[in-house]
Amino acid sequence: VSATRTDVPPRPRAIDEALVVGRDREDVVVGDEIVRHRLASRSVHWAVALTFFLSLFTGLPIWLPYFHFLSGLVGGLQVCRWVHPWAGVAFAILSVFQFIIWIGDMRSVPGEKSWGASGMIRYLRYENDETDVGKYNSGQKLFFFAVSLGALVLFLTGLVMWFPLTFPVIVREIAILLHDASFIAFAAAIVWHIYLGTAAEPGTFGSMVRGTVTTTWARLHHPGWYREVTGRAPREVPPRARREPPPP
Amino acid sequence: MATNTLQTLEIRRSSASAHGTLSGMRTLPTVSKYIDTSTCIGCKACEVACQQWNDLPPLANEQLGTYQTRPTLDAGFWNLIRFDEREVDGGLMWLLRKDQCMHCAEPGCLEACPAPGAIVQYENGIVDVNQDNCIACGYCSTGCPFDVPRFHKTTGKMAKCTLCIDRVSVGLEPACIKACPTGCLKFGTKDDLVALARGRVSHLKELGFANAAVYDPQGVSGTTVVTVLAHGDHPEWYGLPRDPHVPLGVRFWKSVVRPLGVLAIAGAFFAAVGHYLSFGPKEVRGSSDPDANIPPMPPPDERRTP
Repeated sequence: VSATRTDVPPRPRAIDEALVVGRDREDVVVGDEIVRHRLASRSVHWAVALTFFLSLFTGLPIWLPYFHFLSGLVGGLQVCRWVHPWAGVAFAILSVFQFIIWIGDMRSVPGEKSWGASGMIRYLRYENDETDVGKYNSGQKLFFFAVSLGALVLFLTGLVMWFPLTFPVIVREIAILLHDASFIAFAAAIVWHIYLGTAAEPGTFGSMVRGTVTTTWARLHHPGWYREVTGRAPREVPPRARREPPPP
Repeated sequence: MATNTLQTLEIRRSSASAHGTLSGMRTLPTVSKYIDTSTCIGCKACEVACQQWNDLPPLANEQLGTYQTRPTLDAGFWNLIRFDEREVDGGLMWLLRKDQCMHCAEPGCLEACPAPGAIVQYENGIVDVNQDNCIACGYCSTGCPFDVPRFHKTTGKMAKCTLCIDRVSVGLEPACIKACPTGCLKFGTKDDLVALARGRVSHLKELGFANAAVYDPQGVSGTTVVTVLAHGDHPEWYGLPRDPHVPLGVRFWKSVVRPLGVLAIAGAFFAAVGHYLSFGPKEVRGSSDPDANIPPMPPPDERRTP
C-alpha cells in the first residue's frame, strides 16, 4: 500500500445539486428539474402538518366520543386535554410563519382569471386548458387563504375553550360552534389537499420532500410558472429532449 | 371507563357514552330533596354538615355584609345558603335559599361533558361527577343552566353536590337534611315530595303569599331538588333562572354539528376515492412525446387577455 499513488481517480462526490440549490432558493432550474419549494418552505409546511395532526389526534377524542380510542395514542383523555391547546398554539404560530412565507406567491396576478366553481370542476375533470397557470393555481390560492383564515378562527375560539370560565356562557357556546365549523371545513379541505398532492397528481409530493419537480410536471400543471422559470414556452421541446431523427 | 362509581346503583345515563349500565331489571323511584325556602332560618347547619360529611376543606368565610357565608359555590363548598332581602308589599322579606346542584332530569352538564363516564345519572335520578374521568375542560359549566359546576384551583376537576350518593345508596338521608333543625329540608321520593310541596304552597297561599309556587322547571324535565318559593313569580329573587334549559348551542353542537361534520369529512374522503377511480392520476403518459396532454401555447400577444 503506497501513500503516494496518483493513478486513483478522484472519489465521486455524493452532492445532489438540486438539494443544495433548494436550501435557500426556489424557482430555479437544475438539470431537468425545477426547485419549487426551498428548505424553509418545506420545513414550515411539515411543522404545520405535524402540529395539525397532533392537534387532530388529541382533539378528536374530546370532540366526539366515537374517537375516544385515539386518546390512547397520547395516554388518555386527560393528556389530550393538556396537549391539545399547546399543540394548537404551536400550530397557530407556525401557520403565521407559513402565511408570511407563501403570501407573496399567493397574491393574484394582474389579469389572472379566478376559476370559480365551473373552473374548479373543469380542473378536477382534467379539462382545464389554461396556459397561464402560474406557480399556484386558483384552487391552491383559495386553499391557502381558507386554511389561513381557518387557523386564525381555530386559534381565537380555541383560546376561549382553553379558559372557559373567564368568558360568558354565550361566548363559549359561539366559540365551540365556530371551532367545530372551521375544523370540519379544515379537515375536509385537508383530505383533498393530501389526495391532490399525492395520488391524484404524481410528482407533487416530491416537491414538498425533495423540493423539486420535473420540467414535464411543471409544463403540465403550471405552464405559466414553467415559462417564467425556464424562459421557454411550455409547448417548446426543451433542447436536451430533442433527438436527432434516426438515420434512414 | 373507570369503575369506581357506586356499583350498587345502576347508571341511567353516562356522559359521552352511548348508554349507561342499566340492566333494565330494576326500577328505582327518583329520590328527591325538598327545600322549603319559607321555613329556612339561615342557621347554616346544612353547610357545616355538607363540609363535614364530604370531608371538604374548611374554607374561611367571606363577609358580604349579609347573612351569606360566601359569595358563591366552590369546588370545596357544595351547599350555600343564599341570602337576599327585599321590600315586598311594604314589608321586608329575608329570602334564603339553599343553593346546590339541582340534579336535573335532563342534566346539561352531562350532555355537554366529553369525557366518558365523568358525569353519570343514576337510576334514582342523582347526577354525580366521577373525578377520575373528569378532564377539567369546563364544558359542564357551559351546559349547566344553574351555574353549579365549580373547578378545583390546581387540578381543574369539577366538583358539586352528590346528593350524598354514598349515604343514599345505603339507605341514609343526605347530610344536609339530617342536620336541618326546622324541617325545611326533607328527603324522599320525588312523587311524595312534590305532593308535600303542593300542600305547602296552598298553605302559603292561605297565609297571604298569593304567588307561592313549586320550582320544578320543565325546561330540564324537572329537577330532583324540589323547591318551594313563597314568591314563586320571582324565582330570580332567589338566584334561580326563570326558565332554565340546556343551552341550545350545547344541544346543537353535540347532536347535529359534530355527527354531520363526521359525515362531511368522510364524504370528502369518499369523493376523493371516487375521483381517483373515475379520473386516475393526472400525469403525462401513454406517448413518447413529452408534450402529450400539455395544452398548446397561444401566440404571445393573445396571452392574458381578459
